[in-house]
Amino acid sequence: MNRINPLHLGLLLIVILIFVIFKLNNAKVELLEAKESYKETLIVATELKDLKKVYADKKKLKKSLQRILQLSSLRSAKIVKTSKKTYMILSSKSIDKKALNTLMAKILNANFNLNSLKIKQLSEQKASLYMEIKW
Amino acid sequence: MKFNKKLKTVFLDPHSSEIKVTGKVNVVLSPAFYWVKKLALPIKSVGAVKKLLPSIFEDTLPEGTYSYYAYKKEDLFIVFAYEDKLILDTLSQKGLKPANVANIYFAQTELDIIETDYKVDKNQNIVLKDDIVILLPSMLFEKSQYLDLKKTKLSKHKITLTQFGHIIDSKSIYKITAILLAFIFLVVTELFITTQKTAEIVTLKEELFTKYKLKSTMFQNRSMLKKYNNIHTKQMKIREYSSAILSLRLQSKNKLTQLTLKDKTLVANFSGVENGKERYIIKVLKNKKIQFKSSFKNKIFHVEMAL
Repeated sequence: MNRINPLHLGLLLIVILIFVIFKLNNAKVELLEAKESYKETLIVATELKDLKKVYADKKKLKKSLQRILQLSSLRSAKIVKTSKKTYMILSSKSIDKKALNTLMAKILNANFNLNSLKIKQLSEQKASLYMEIKW
Repeated sequence: MKFNKKLKTVFLDPHSSEIKVTGKVNVVLSPAFYWVKKLALPIKSVGAVKKLLPSIFEDTLPEGTYSYYAYKKEDLFIVFAYEDKLILDTLSQKGLKPANVANIYFAQTELDIIETDYKVDKNQNIVLKDDIVILLPSMLFEKSQYLDLKKTKLSKHKITLTQFGHIIDSKSIYKITAILLAFIFLVVTELFITTQKTAEIVTLKEELFTKYKLKSTMFQNRSMLKKYNNIHTKQMKIREYSSAILSLRLQSKNKLTQLTLKDKTLVANFSGVENGKERYIIKVLKNKKIQFKSSFKNKIFHVEMAL
């Protein structure tokens, strides 16, 4: 004979409804945050990948630099190449103007991380060079 | 049923005296509480008959909120109409709380086998006439025995009273409940879908970490990106400023004698620059919106460009 008051039942259902709506809103906020986080991660990941490819691919950068130094106009310039763990030094106590122009044009047009540079004119046709390329 | 046998059974009539019992009781309703009909209908199921009951009783019943009951006996349907509120009010008047009522039965279903009349109180006797249990004035009978329900074996035809039927009818309750349940179902479904979507995105994000070989935290990745962005910006400026310096159309006496890059500064020294002739270099650098500091000493024009 003890039956549930329909008003109590209705109230219980309304409370359950409010609770699930509250949970849904939280879930929607979480979904929005997850979407934003995914977008940000994708942007960071792709940009990082591209930039690393340009500035941190040691193997590729070394190969590219080797190709430049093997150019006929630079081969005779006696550029000294010193490899370190995180960078490479190109130096010459006396490099002629034409070779220097070729080297600078190639280096500046490629994506090397130029860390240090010192070019000093020695005479009309000669200059000294010190260059650090980092990776 | 075993449990029911232990319970006391009382007869409830509007004119009966106060019922004093402890514990739960079964209640047999006096014919005064219900309307009963015997019907021969071309319908097989009791459920289908129940749906027709409001129409069947429409012309018989006074205005009120009624509940209905039906069962089949041989080829006939025995149908009932009763007012929940009237029975509940009477139970309350007679001192019976709804919590103490185990089951409620109709006199019709429990006493349709009596062979003689019985007194239910001073003024009324209960009799079976044409298979219908009815109440008649006691003056019509002589020396009748009082009705004793102790040995009565109760039937399966019990009813449950709707305590709030007078506040809101069953159909409305069902409708509102159905609507609320439907809403809850929809919201829960959406909640489930949303949670699934979030889980999928989290998985996709984890896959990005693996695919792009990212560091374990976004803080590390952000700082690494910042580092590479700074390198990129610096390298772009080195190229832009060097290009500006190397493309200067210097006079034959003017020479670029030194170009130095250290930390965040690019330095250029020009020799043979007459006093006032450095304006051309300054103009070019300003036009290219390069931030720089300059000094002039012994025909050497010194330019420092911040990267």
